[in-house]
Formats: sequence, C-alpha cells, structure tokens
Amino acid sequence: MPESAWGWLIISYLFLAGAGAGAFVSAVACDLLAPDWSKTLARAGSLAAGPLVAVGTVCLVLDLEAGLWQPWRQIYLVSNLSSMITWGVIILSLFIPVAFLYAAALNELTVVGRYARKYLRHLEVVGGFLAVATAGYTGVLIAVVNGVPFWNTPAMPVLFMASAMSTGLAVAMIGAAIIDISTIRTMSSFALGHVIFLSVEGLVLMLLIFLSLTRSVEAAASATMLISGALSPYFWALVVVVGIAVPYILSIVEYYEYGKMPKSLVVGADLCVLIGGMSLRALIVFSGVAPHIV
Amino acid sequence: MPHYGIAIDTTKCIGCHSCRVACQNQQGLEYDQSFNWIKEREQGRFPSFGKEFVPVQCNHCADAPCQRVCPTGAIYTSPEGIVLVHRERCVGCKYCIEACPYKVRVVNHHEGIVVKCWLCNDLVAKGGEPACVTTCPTQVRIFGDLDDPNSRISQFIAKHRAQPLRPDLDTRPRIFYKRS
Repeated sequence: MPESAWGWLIISYLFLAGAGAGAFVSAVACDLLAPDWSKTLARAGSLAAGPLVAVGTVCLVLDLEAGLWQPWRQIYLVSNLSSMITWGVIILSLFIPVAFLYAAALNELTVVGRYARKYLRHLEVVGGFLAVATAGYTGVLIAVVNGVPFWNTPAMPVLFMASAMSTGLAVAMIGAAIIDISTIRTMSSFALGHVIFLSVEGLVLMLLIFLSLTRSVEAAASATMLISGALSPYFWALVVVVGIAVPYILSIVEYYEYGKMPKSLVVGADLCVLIGGMSLRALIVFSGVAPHIV
Repeated sequence: MPHYGIAIDTTKCIGCHSCRVACQNQQGLEYDQSFNWIKEREQGRFPSFGKEFVPVQCNHCADAPCQRVCPTGAIYTSPEGIVLVHRERCVGCKYCIEACPYKVRVVNHHEGIVVKCWLCNDLVAKGGEPACVTTCPTQVRIFGDLDDPNSRISQFIAKHRAQPLRPDLDTRPRIFYKRS
C-alpha cells in the first residue's frame, strides 16, 4: 500500500519557503531596529526572500502532475478554504510580489523600487505579516494531516516557525558576508537571534519527541524512528549536532567575542543552520507513519 | 436516496486476492496498481494462533479527510454517500494521500491525478454490485443500503455488531468489519 506521497520537492519547498520568509523577517527587523549599522544584512535578507520563496513555489508546482501538464487546472487551487493548500496559494501569491517589491524598494533598484521606496514602511508591515503567514503555514500544512499522527500536533507549526526564522537569519547573514565581508563584525550582534531561535527550535523539537512517544502508537513509531531507529544517525548528526548544537555554541561565542571570531566560523555556523533546517524537514516528512488500521 | 456501504466478514476471507484482480479488471488498472488490498495480521501465540486477512479499500468516509484537504475541490461525496474524484479538477498535489488515514489513494501517473475505489459506481447505477463483492468466492463482502434497516447489510451489521476500521479516527467510514 502507498505510504508517503511527498518527497524531496515538497521538502525543498518547505525549506525554501521557510528560509525566504525568515530572511524577509530578518531584513525587516534589521531595517526597523538598527537601520544605521545593519544595512547590509537588511539588503541581503530582502534580496534573498523573494527568489527563495519563488524557487520553493516552483518546486511545489513541479511536484504536481496533471496541474503541471495542464496548468490551467491550477485555477481550481483556490476553491476549498478548508484546505491549507488553498490558503498557501493565496498567501504565496501575495507574499512573492510583496517580497520582490520590498527588495526593489530597500535597495532602490529600478524605477519601481525608487517609487516603492516611499511606501517602505507599508511594505514592511504587510510583508512582515505575510512572511509570518508563509512560515507558519508550511507547518500548519502538515500539522492538519490526520493521516499521519506524528505531524498532527500544534507543536509542528511552532517548530517550523522557529526553524524558518533561524534559517532565514542564516541566509541574510551569509548574503551580507557575500555583499560586504567587512560587515561580519556587526553581524556578531545578530548572532543573538540565532541563540534565541535555536533555543526555541531545540526546546520545541524535544517537546515534540517526548510527547509523541506517549501520544499514540504511530506517533511513537515516528519519534522512535528518529531517536533510535532507521533515521536516527541523520537525526542526531544533521539536525541535533550540525543543525542546532554547533551553531548554537558558535553563535554564543560569536556574540561575546564581538567581531573577533574567524569569518569562516561565522559563515560556517550559518551554513550549519541551513543544513539543519533542510534535514529537519526531510526527516519529519520521511518519518511520517500512517495509522495502524487492522 | 440509498446510502451505500460494504460489510466485510474477515473470518471468511482466505486471502486469495480475487477482489483485487476483479477490481483491476473492472477499472482497467495496471498490474501494480490497485484500489483494494489484503492486509494480513498474525495474532495469538503458539499453539493457539492464526492469521487474519483484512480486505482494505476506500472507506467512503461520511466525514472524509481527503475531501476536507483537497485544495481544488476535486473530491466530493455523491448523494449515495460515495466519495468520488472529479478527474478534470485534480491537479495531483497528493495532499489527499497524506490526509487519508487508511492510505487507500493512489496516483494514476498516466492522467497525473489521484484515484481510488469509487464503489463501481457505473455498475451500481445500473442496479449491480461492485466487482469485489460479486467476484469473492467465499462471499466476504455484502453490498447494500445502510439506510434501509431491512437490507442484508444492515441486518448483518446489527447482528454481528460490525465496526469500521479505527472508528476512533472519527471519519465515519461506510465499510464495516466483522472481525471474529
């Protein structure tokens, strides 16, 4: 019997949409909280957000079958408001143009950007709301699935939200290092963001595993698969160590050593967060176990 | 308006897979595609043990999770209580496969859509019965109107207190099982 229908395309989508939304939130936060000294970070975040979510959406469309061969069928995608995909389509259709417009406005690209610059604050408020909706919705998408008990918990959107924010910040920091490596000093202040998001992510992940172990036979089977079963090497190595522990420690050091840490380690911590974010989504999708029906 | 369902007596099932083959013939499915399966469960301990064959197909849930999550509204329930797929609306997002707790939906890669048991609606409309019901050599399945208290299926369910699979999932299936 068929078990899981979703694979790497959906996993990539969940990761890219989360990272893009997180990068947008990072950009808005930098521009609002510290416009004078975190400009590069805001620029990098805003430039990455739109393309990441757009590429993620392409992955989502590539996973369709009849909807890919006969694209006009996609018009039906907004017909059922009790489906999270319908909500996702609405949110993405609004967020992607706003994200591109914001990137243009913040970086004053093209005529459109120079005009939109006047409405920067409006774009930040509307875009910030849509970015949070995008990041949260990817978690809700799988949390409402009662065909997979492990996913069917309110902890899932919280976990996805925390992971989206940390991967988004990582994208913005890597982007800032690419645009202007000398800003790496100021980025140390934003390492505190990683410390906060990774703490939440680790805590929620721990709660999810512990509660799943007692919630139902199937949720326990999924959790066991992650902590001691077939997927456990990937879970402990890629999610727990590379994705959370290493960048967490590096970020604390980075924050206290203000600007003195080697650049490779600063960027390395961010790359670790990205590997962890992608692995987390892959492992959650692959560890889904259907209800035992007989 | 009748509300159709199937009652399944697993104590009669010998695991011959005729229902699966009949269904594949009737629906023109490929050899590796299926709308029904026989799940096996071993129970007991030596020397008192046995194997139970449990035929599984779409449960035509009155509260169908697949219908709730379908973004295109391609999944709908007919007035007779049969959960159907609107082939021209399905985009193949496979969300319904994830949402179905019974995991009985399959992708038809030729059409790029998700398909499943439709209770042989064409045969039923002509007054017949689904192929899995008529083909079974040990008559495991009983097809009929769940709303008619005098129908064979309603009598069978009442007499044997037949239950759906995993009633705790609250999807209100229309396939009932007599397990012992």
